[in-house]
Amino acid sequence: MQIEVRELTKAYDKKRGLFPTSFEVKKGELIAIVGHNGAGKSTLLKILANCILPDSGTVLIDGINLKDRMSLVRKIGFVPETPNLFDLFSVEYNLKLFARLFKIPFSRIEQMLNEFDLLSFRKNKIQILSKGLKQRVSIARSLLPNPPILLFDEPTSGLDFEMTKGIYQLLNNFHSQEKTIIFTSHRPEEIREFATRILILHQGRLVFNDSTEQYFRSETHQKLYKELYTQ
Amino acid sequence: MIRKIVTLTLHDLATAFKNKTMYLIIFIPLFVFTSLKLIDPQTVSFQKLRIGLIQTEIYNPVILRTIKAESALFSISSLSNAEEGKRWLKEKKIDGLLIRSEKNQDSLCLVVLRKDSRITLSIVEALSTVQQANEGRRLSWISDVKPLQESEIQKKSLPTWVLMLVLLISFIIIPAQVAEEKEKKLLLALLQTPIREIDWLFAKLFFGMISIIAAVIFLHLLGQFEVENIASYAVYLGLGSFCFSSYGILLGFLCRNQASARTLGVIFYLPNILPSALSDFSTKLTAIAPFLTSYQFYKPVSAILLDGEKISNLSYEWLSLLLSGLFTFFCSYHLIKKRWLM
Repeated sequence: MQIEVRELTKAYDKKRGLFPTSFEVKKGELIAIVGHNGAGKSTLLKILANCILPDSGTVLIDGINLKDRMSLVRKIGFVPETPNLFDLFSVEYNLKLFARLFKIPFSRIEQMLNEFDLLSFRKNKIQILSKGLKQRVSIARSLLPNPPILLFDEPTSGLDFEMTKGIYQLLNNFHSQEKTIIFTSHRPEEIREFATRILILHQGRLVFNDSTEQYFRSETHQKLYKELYTQ
Repeated sequence: MIRKIVTLTLHDLATAFKNKTMYLIIFIPLFVFTSLKLIDPQTVSFQKLRIGLIQTEIYNPVILRTIKAESALFSISSLSNAEEGKRWLKEKKIDGLLIRSEKNQDSLCLVVLRKDSRITLSIVEALSTVQQANEGRRLSWISDVKPLQESEIQKKSLPTWVLMLVLLISFIIIPAQVAEEKEKKLLLALLQTPIREIDWLFAKLFFGMISIIAAVIFLHLLGQFEVENIASYAVYLGLGSFCFSSYGILLGFLCRNQASARTLGVIFYLPNILPSALSDFSTKLTAIAPFLTSYQFYKPVSAILLDGEKISNLSYEWLSLLLSGLFTFFCSYHLIKKRWLM
């Protein structure tokens, strides 16, 4: 197993947070975490990305405890819902800063700019870019060290149909490169085509953990999701 | 339209409460009022003049007898030597120190904190009146008045300006920058790279120290102020910038956003700047100021710049700055490890 999550807990209050949650992820899986707002999706992802500390439980990534952050920074790429880029600086500067910190040659930046169609925006300040472009820069930045695991928090939030399609295309591409991908979404219908597994979180608890086909075959789970969605 | 304006105004007020800006509106006048109350009043009522005499000094017996006899006018303190006398003077335990004049053995030299102060004028006037009552008009007992701080007004105020610069960068600029990185999740992004928490803290600390030292150097270049004891001054500036940058980082860490950091910064800035800078004008503030970290910076900087003091004689002050800096740095490290308000 590439990722092992055991009894992971992070409570904000009695109802909000993440309550004892366990699951495993194999290498190369593309997993969608689905749930309504406040279900604990982002909390789970942020814990995996080492952005917040859990109250209890353990996470092992390739057998390494998540607490050993320095051993895992090159293994995990995290793309937050709102791109956290240095707004006053250019696209190129943002990538160069992270390349320097990762000790990655600048040729990789050229590769990323090219791959994400950012060449013409390289000198543009982040603050003048559209949300979709910012998201692309954010993804390019997280891919700089070529991590085998990618975490995306609501990657399509606030994007129009075309951009959403583009992002999912990217996820598919990464999946075909045998990267393990975990992402959160509100809309299971959108991910039907390519997610290999669905985890449903409800009020901080994992209530479904099976293949996409199984999920869409199961009326109970569809009903549960519909209930969540209409809440 | 009016309804919309009222709604928006109420919203702005609510935001000011939420981001704690409103506390400043209450805190600033309250603080200034308290400080003003503590400044030595221009007393109309009579106060005894506190005169220091050196035990080992051989004074003119007539002068000594006369001054001691005027117990309603003078309060006499006997001090072991001139150094102790100067220290008492700086600590405002006495108003003036009488030593034998080098020019005329029969007359006295009055050592005061400031030559142009009201208290100096009162002492000279009182001694002159006493002399006239006892001896009639003769050669004045006071042949010389020596201030402890002889430098010109610009240089006299230099320690206050240096303190102001240091505190402005430490308590206003640094906390806002730290809070901005937290608010925009930039710190979390940086922590996705192979940097350790301590690396980030050191980077912020060096940013603060460089900014402070550059600002002070710039001030010196502009004012063309000469520093007698440059090595001691440099060490103190380094220590002060370390301590207060560390403070600033901690303040930033205690806040979730820039608005809160600015408010907290001002709340720390005012109490630190005013008592230290105003301690020369108030005995009450002189008593409070030593409890502030800023005073442990202001006092030695003032002594180095105005009296040519050396760092070797200011060990308590540099040690307290170093320890305060280390303590706040450790607290910041603890908070970043806990991902406090991130």
